[in-house]
Order: sequence, then structure tokens, then C-alpha cells
Amino acid sequence: MLQSWRTLCLLVAGALLPSLSLAGPSFENTAVVRTIELGGSVVHVSTTYAIKALEAGQTVYHIALAKDEKEKTSWMEAKVKGQANPLVVTVLDEDDAAASSLIAVNLPRQLSANGTLNLVFESVQTHATRPHPERAAQTDPQLLNYETGLFVLSPYNTLVQRTKVKSLSPDVISYSTPQDVDEFVRDGAVVTKSGATVTYGPYHNIHPSADVEFVSNHQQTISVHYNFDYPVLEVKNLERSIEISHWGANLNVEDKIHLYNAGPALKGQFSRLEYQSQNFFGRLSPHTLNRLILQLPPGVTNVYYYDLNGNVSTSNLRVAPSVPKNSKATQNSILDMRPRYPLLGGWNYSFTLGFDTPLQDSVSWDAANGKYIVAVPVTTHIPGSVVDEAIVKIIMPEGASNIEFISPFPALSSSVSTHITYLDTIGRPAVALTYKKLTGKHTGMIYVSYSLPFFAHLRKPLAVGTMFFGLFMLGFTAKRVDLRLHRR
Amino acid sequence: MDYATIQTLHNSLPSFSPYVPTSLLPFIALILLSSTFALAFYFSTLPKTAPIRELGVALLASVLGGFGVVALFCSVGVYV
Repeated sequence: MLQSWRTLCLLVAGALLPSLSLAGPSFENTAVVRTIELGGSVVHVSTTYAIKALEAGQTVYHIALAKDEKEKTSWMEAKVKGQANPLVVTVLDEDDAAASSLIAVNLPRQLSANGTLNLVFESVQTHATRPHPERAAQTDPQLLNYETGLFVLSPYNTLVQRTKVKSLSPDVISYSTPQDVDEFVRDGAVVTKSGATVTYGPYHNIHPSADVEFVSNHQQTISVHYNFDYPVLEVKNLERSIEISHWGANLNVEDKIHLYNAGPALKGQFSRLEYQSQNFFGRLSPHTLNRLILQLPPGVTNVYYYDLNGNVSTSNLRVAPSVPKNSKATQNSILDMRPRYPLLGGWNYSFTLGFDTPLQDSVSWDAANGKYIVAVPVTTHIPGSVVDEAIVKIIMPEGASNIEFISPFPALSSSVSTHITYLDTIGRPAVALTYKKLTGKHTGMIYVSYSLPFFAHLRKPLAVGTMFFGLFMLGFTAKRVDLRLHRR
Repeated sequence: MDYATIQTLHNSLPSFSPYVPTSLLPFIALILLSSTFALAFYFSTLPKTAPIRELGVALLASVLGGFGVVALFCSVGVYV
């Protein structure tokens, strides 16, 4: 009797839980505007929600992201419009049957009944565009296709919403027209284009749409086919190794980059003549990459750039003067580098780029805890690219202990291992952090703190000294060993 | 410690300063290694009757040589 009562309670609670989690009518969206800025490998989506609380005491607002959108999103941030501080967001777990995943945004202050607020939700999507003629000849333009859902999903009622898709150039080849949206359109066109912006909307009175029912009945995919004038780049794999030396007061950063041109694959043969004439007239086609301009830290020395064949000399470096640790760098060093061959669509290029910076610019000494704190940037960003996988390894001096680290955004995994290099006896501790889908928004420094007692600094000289002493002892015993064949 | 705390802490602390200024390292390497060489030469001239002296010279030469090699590595760009 008691068991069946308990199961009945559980069943009732289980049936109610999904509706409880979808946060019933506690908010209403008075206006939602989604602006999609089309790019090559990264697409910026900025959604502004004008919300109104229907009940008093609301502190959490839920944003819905469609399943396919969430897979493509690699960075997100929620802010109150006009303010600089980001709000705390939590991605809620979803089950496989749900049509969208919910993101809980903690509002900065409690909203009373009928209180309003403007929230801006920014996200960056990677691998969201596809080259539409998938193969293009060297002289063809680079055309990309971007697809997304027509409606902005939300667990609350939306009074009016519109989606603006902006391309960098006004050369939009085509855009899809939504069908069967008459119940949401009041007057005016379903989709309009002016200049470089295609506007879908305004659509009125959309009931809570974050569920399977709305998505299967009303949601449709829209696509925009546009011309993109810059190379679409992907770094398939980045291995970054950062080595700290206390004796040399030096921080060495070495990047092993596997670069891939994700534009349309080359159709036909590569014509050097065509490439040279395009270069001469300054009309290089956008899916040919022949130079990269990278920003390196100020005060950089000993920059090296080589690939499998050897040193690559086609590069120019302009060094910015070193700045002390506390001040923000006014200008970065600029490396203008050219790969050994121009990268056409679908081509790969792997190279190693390394440089030294003074340790004073990156490491501080915490006398209170007896620890050193080092700040290292996560990547050297290649403009317009996305890093598919990155492993950042920070190698501490030998004998470092008590290692703690923190990353500016969550890493996929982290591990501490031992790295052995020149003049090592016990090996150096190395912290390895792995990341996925890094874009230009994933800036910030990784902080690692470690303690290094004075004797640990002496370990290397003593190791070398022991070796010298061994040689001297060899001489000492050699002088005293009689190797003559006949006794005197 | 959370990210913002460690960020402000790092910005406010004094920066790292090496025990030996890096600009002096090439000269230190030269002096230490040449004295190691001289002491090794002297060690080779010592007679067998004075093992204490030999050990003393060997110890001094090894210590100087250890520091000299580390300074040499740093001054040529292998920052050990």
C-alpha cells in the first residue's frame, strides 16, 4: 500500500517536473531582435531580449538555444544592455527528447511585477558556414552558405521578434523566403533585404516556442548565400608549449600550427601565372591565402618560424617595446608572415612559430605565500580563424612544487606531467590544458602559481658540477692506476 | 582562488627579478669557464702525494664549472 502510494507520488512529480523546469509564464518578451553577423569560420550572433516580468521577485531568466545552434556555439555571454559586466549564465542539462537547451541567466537585480530589462545575449558560432559551390576555380569568387532556424526560440511568450542577417559585403547572392508564416505576420513583407542586411520579420505573438511541438509545427530553416571576401581559416591542431626559465629570466612560447584553408576546394590545377598576375594587380581571390599578420606580445625577441623543410624566411617583424607587467600594452609586435606556398581552398600548411619574452613581463612574486604567479595567453590568434583543438602546455622550472592553475574559460581537460629537457635531473613539471573551438573571443590569460625554493635554483649547476667532479675523479684514479705491462 | 582575485593579485605583485642580471650572464660564463679551465690545468700538474689538494681543486673547479655551463647555456639562447 505504502509502496504504490510512493510510486504514485513519484509519477505525479515526474509528470510535473518538465513543466516546472520550463519556467511557466513568469516573463514575457516584449521584443526580441537577433542580429547575425556573417563571417567565414566564425559567425557572431547577438540577440537582444526586451523582457518584462509578469510575477514579482524574478531573479533568473531562461534563454533557449536550438539543439543545432548549441552544437555550433563555442562562446556565449549575457549582459544587460549598456553595461560592461557579464552576467552569470548556467547551461542547464537537457534530455535527448527536448528540442532546445535552456540557459539560465542570473539577473543583476530582482525584477518586480511588470519590471522591464534589456538583455543582450552574444554568442559566437564556429563551422556554421559551408562553401556553397564546394569547388571553385582560382578565379571564382568565394560563396558561402549559412543556415539557421527562422524563429528565435524562447520558453516565454514573444510579442514581436525579428532576425537580421548582416553580410560584410552587400553582395548577397540569394536568401530563402519562409513559407506558412501568415499567422505571425501582420502587415509588411515576410523577408526584406536592404544593402547588406536581410531582415526576417517582424513576427508577432509567438507563444512559448522552446518545445518540440512548436519546433516541429512552425520552425523552419532559412539560408543565406553570400559572397565572402576574406579567407576562411581553420587551425586544425595547435600545440602550444610555454617554457619558463628562471636563470635566463625568459619565457619561451612555441606554437606548432596546422593551418587549413576551409574555403571552396580548388577546381582544376593551380596556375602560378594566374596567381602572380592576381598578386600584381592586387586582386587576389579571397580563397587564396598568401599572408598572415599576427600580433605577438611586446618586447619579443628571437622569433623563429620554420616548417618541415626548414627555416621560412618570408616574414617581417616589427617589435614593440616591452611594457612592465602591470600596464596594458599599447601596441603589440607585428609579425607579417607568408607561408611557403599560397594556400588555396582545401590545402594544409603546418609550421612552427616561436618567440622569447622577458620573464619580468609575465611572472610575479608573491612574497606572502612564497609563490610565483605566471600569466600566459591562451593562443596567438590568427585573424578570422577558429582553432579546432588546442593543447597548451606550461612547463615550470625544475623543482617547482605546489602547482595551481586557473583557465579564463573551462578547459576540456587538464593534466600535470613531467617534461624532460636540457640539463634536467628530475624533470620539469608541466601543466597541459586542452581546448576545443577557440575563436577571437577566447582571449584571456591562464594563471599558474608554483613555488620554487632557493635550492631548486641550484639543482642545475650542481648537476653539471657533479659531472665535472666525476671527470676529475676519473683523472684522479687514472693517475694512480699502473697499466704498464712489465714491472720496473 | 577565483579568476578575478588571482588577476588583481598578479597585477599588484612585484614582478620577477632574477638572482643574477641576465645582461651579465655572458661575462660570468666567460670568467667562470676560463677559471674552470685554469684550475683543471693546475689539477693535472699536481703530484700524487697531495690528494687533499687535488680533491679541493677538483671541487672548486666543478662548482665553478657547473655555474659557468648554466650561464653559458643561457647566454647562447638555450634558456635552461
